[in-house]
Order: sequence, then C-alpha cells, then structure tokens
Amino acid sequence: MENLNLSDDLDLENALQDENDEDEQLTPAEVIELMEEAWLNEKFAPEILPHKFDVVECLLGQITYMEDNIQNLESKDFRKTIHQLEVDRLRFLVCSYLRTRIEKIEAYCNHIMKQESERISKGEDQYLTESEFQFLKDFIQSLDSHFEKVTSFTVVTEDWKSQPVVPNVHSFVFLKSKQEVEGVIIDDGRNDENDLVDLDKGSQLIISYNSVANLIKKGDVHLI
Amino acid sequence: MFGEKACDLIKELSRAEDNLPAYNTDLVTEVGNEIKVLIEKNQEDAQISEDSRASDGLSYISTVKIRHAAVKRNFRCLLAYHYNRLKCIRTMRWEFGSILPADIKVNMSATESEWFTKYSRLMTQYMRSVGEEGVNLWVDLKPPKALYIEVRCLVDYGKFELNDGSVIFLKKHSRHYLPRSECEELIRQGVFYHIN
Amino acid sequence: MPLPAAYSPNYFSLDDILATQERAPCKFAVNVPKMGVLNPSAEEVDLKAGTDLELPMWLVTEMAAGRQPIVNPDLPKIYREAYREILKADASAVDLHKFNLYFYELGSYAKSFDAKGEVQDVLLHTFKTRFRHIMDLADNSISDPTVQQKLDFLERRIFEDGHKAKGKLNDWLWVTSSTMEAANMVVNHKKRKRVDLDESGNFNK
Repeated sequence: MENLNLSDDLDLENALQDENDEDEQLTPAEVIELMEEAWLNEKFAPEILPHKFDVVECLLGQITYMEDNIQNLESKDFRKTIHQLEVDRLRFLVCSYLRTRIEKIEAYCNHIMKQESERISKGEDQYLTESEFQFLKDFIQSLDSHFEKVTSFTVVTEDWKSQPVVPNVHSFVFLKSKQEVEGVIIDDGRNDENDLVDLDKGSQLIISYNSVANLIKKGDVHLI
Repeated sequence: MFGEKACDLIKELSRAEDNLPAYNTDLVTEVGNEIKVLIEKNQEDAQISEDSRASDGLSYISTVKIRHAAVKRNFRCLLAYHYNRLKCIRTMRWEFGSILPADIKVNMSATESEWFTKYSRLMTQYMRSVGEEGVNLWVDLKPPKALYIEVRCLVDYGKFELNDGSVIFLKKHSRHYLPRSECEELIRQGVFYHIN
Repeated sequence: MPLPAAYSPNYFSLDDILATQERAPCKFAVNVPKMGVLNPSAEEVDLKAGTDLELPMWLVTEMAAGRQPIVNPDLPKIYREAYREILKADASAVDLHKFNLYFYELGSYAKSFDAKGEVQDVLLHTFKTRFRHIMDLADNSISDPTVQQKLDFLERRIFEDGHKAKGKLNDWLWVTSSTMEAANMVVNHKKRKRVDLDESGNFNK
C-alpha cells in the first residue's frame, strides 16, 4: 500500500474544520485512514459492504479544497507538483472505491436487490446509498428490457432472477484485527463440529469471509 | 435433440473468450423458433389430454414435461448468450471509452448498441450524483506513482490540447514527457505507450 | 481484478451450460407419446418404457426429478466402479481431460444418481490428490504443454489463475513502479487487426 498520509497539511486541517463543524471533528489524516480502510475492505470482501459515503463526501470536499489551493499557487512553485500528486492519489482512492461498488452492484444486481429490499422491509440500514440504489434499479431495468426485446416472440421467463449470480462468501480473505475478539466460528463448509478462534488485537490471519463478515461490517477487524 | 442450436450459441461465445463475436442473428432466430414450436405443441397436447382424459387414458404429462424442460433450456442459453455479451460490451465501455472502433461496432446488434448508450447514460447519471461536483470514474484506473511520465506515440494522432491550453503535435514514434493524468486515456486507447 | 463469483453455478454461467450438455445414460420408466425424436436409432413416434438412451445432463436431471420420474438415470461410465478404481489407484497419473473435459462439474450432477456417495468421495479424492500437482505446475515457469492437456476444465482454470498470480508476484518483486498499459481489449483488438492484415497480405501474393 502506498502511504497516503497527509497529516501535516495545514490547509487541509482548515478545510476539514469548515466541513465538519457540526459533526465530530476528524483530522484530514483520520478521514484518509477511514477511506483507506473502507477501500481495502470493499476491494477484498466478496459481497457489497455497508456504504461509507460520509467518508467519501468528506474526502471529496477535501480534494476540491486542495485543488483550489493548488490553482492559486504559482505554476513554478515546487509545492504545486507535490500537492497535485497527493490530490491524484486521493482521487484514485475514492474512485477505485466507488468503482468496486459499482462493479459489484452490476455483477450481483438481483442478489443485491433482494437483500436491499429485505433490509428496507425490516427497516434496517441500507447498504447502498440512494444514488447507488437508483443505479441498481436502472441497471436491472436495462437488463430486463434488453431481454424482453431479444425474446419478443414470446413471454420472457423470470427464471434468471431465481438463480442469480451471487458472490462467493466462502472465499478466503486476509484480515487484521483492530481489537480482541473472542470465539469467531470457523466455517469449514459443514455444520458439524465448528472450531472457534480468538483474535488478539493486531493479529493477522487468513479465514473464510463468511466467518468474519459481521466483524468487518462492525469494524472490529479490517481486510488487508 | 432439443436445445442443440441454443448450445451452439453458447459454444460460439465461449470460444471467443474476451472478444465479442459477431451477433448471430440467424441462430438467435432459430432458437426463438424452436421455443415457439415447443410451446405451441405443448398447448395442443395439454388440450388433447384434457379432452381425452375419459376415453383412451393416454397421458401426455411426460411429453409436456420434457418439452417444458427444453423450453427452459433454450431460454437459459438464449439469455446467457445475451447477458454475457452485455457484460463484454460493458467492459468495452470501460476500456475503449465512449466511441468504439468501427470493426467492433459491427459485431453488435442494434439492441446492443442501444444498451451501450443506455449504460453510458446510467453511469453518467450516477457519477454526477456523487459529492457536490460529481466524480469521473472512467479515469484514474491505476494508482498514480508520478506526476509526469514519458510516453511514446504509437500512431499519427495529430493535435492534442493539454489542460493548460498548450497544444502539442503527436506524431508516430515521437516521445513526450507529459502530466500522467492527461495521458491515461490515450494510453488505454493504445495511442501512447508508457515508457518506464 | 475480476470479482470472485460463487462457485455454485448461476443461470448465465456458460461453463455450467456446456457441462450440462454432456450426456448421461438413462432408462425410460414410462411410455412417452410423441417423444420418439429423442431416440435417433428408432423411427417410432412414441418412446416406449424400458428404452435406454444417453441424453444431455440438463434433460436427464429434469426428467429424473419429481415424484413420478420419467427416467431412471444411471452414472456416465467415467464415474462407474471400474473408472473409480483407476482414480483411487493413482489419480495424478490419469488424463482427466480424456475422461471428460468437465469431469468435476458433470460429476457434481452425476453424484446425485449414486445413493452410496461413492462418486462424491472419488471426486474429492481425485481433486485432493491432483491439486498439489497442479500447484507445482503453476509454480514452475517451464511449461510443458502436454501436462496441461491432461487437466480437466476446472483444473486448467486453477492452473491458469495460479500461473498468473505467480507472474504477478514476480513482477512485484522485480519491478517497483507500475506501467500504465493499454486496456486488454484494445491490445487484443490491435493484435487481431494485425493478423487480419497479414492474412490479407498473404492472400494477395
């Protein structure tokens, strides 16, 4: 991983304070750290995770602010180059995060739609943002209408929705624990005699994703 | 045997791997016809068994069941053919950009071209809705390592305007030292070669 | 990085469609009117109970399902005892590709025709035994194409993934900065163009 630390950038410090006056105060470095974590989790988790758009919006605000500052620098100013590279890196971080989510939404569209609908009916927090959900609906609709057009000679079946493309939640992931967690059940694909494992703070291990999905969503561990 | 043509469609697509083979209108139509015929015959036989239930007791249930399985199979192949093509077309939107090379475009059906445009529009709508100013997800595909990079031009491209307003002339085999962000798209499209 | 799709086959899976096109033997349990077309060797309109046929797996599983199955399915010969014995003796010496290109995929359907669970055991045993060998293959840069040809479709995919991962690791170890490249499809597109040009050039001669 590239080091994206920006902790001693004073301009940013000010930017953040403007942004976050009503919320809890986060330093730019903390925002970037949160974004990095969200990005890695999303990149390595097989399924789509609860969105982190508060962090995304915050970082996008920072980027805009930094770019404005760069504009004001003399083009010969050495700092300009350094700042521009930093901005580019941050933008990559956000874009890559958003792209990964869009990719998952497209690939598992019907599966995610089903899960989100269940969350809505149960009144739980949704994993997708409003605009992602809109994209999901539009995307499914675009498939629907395409299939309708190519099978216009008869009534199209809905079979494809009953056997959707689903993520492989049994795939293995590398994780690092942020705190002590006791009694993680190791899922070995069978229901009998499951082993337990305790995680120490900072310990790293490779494990089946569905054993730790909830811990990732809660933020007790993160993927690496 | 039922579903042979449908399977030919799938084989054709599977052989092409990442490439998009020409849309096979003839085979798609033939599969459609097979489905139509199977459905019609099933309706007839369902009617016959309904009428003759009392008389000869000949059961068409198994016949209907087999034809129904064949209809489902044909549908599956047909939809899988179209779905996997869309997946490929979607990737092309990301890799080639909004304008596809002419020799690839001819391989798409009219409906597929429509979907390509629709997909671009959906993405644009989504990208505009993120943050205050929107984001552009089509670019920044690789993590940046340096601000300026050296590139070699692979084709006679002509004039190219940089963000600062200056215009450079891109000739085949010419070398340039340019801001990374401005090269990315041209590298992806194969205009530039990134010299490491 | 492609998303890891679940192993369980989905509706659009080309590989699953191709695997279920492979045939399995079955015996018809009932008379089926008008289905003589399924039996190319006879010219009768109806299909009689007791007829033995080899039909595609997708059709056999549908016909064998339900409370009143139309057919009694049997194992394709590569999963029967004689072949199971060969696999148990030395799975890694076997040319699995010759058995069937979709040995494991087809087997995962065929295993439901075997109440004793022996097919399932042999599938697992075969995979476990051969896996180490595939890992070795993927790890070595010298590739002997004849060895690869003995792999079934699933094994070949694992081999390719492993080989790519190995390549990536090497790149990462030797080269520190990443080069931006033309998109995959663009590169292929250019290659194809070149081939087309070459071919038309030859033609003109």
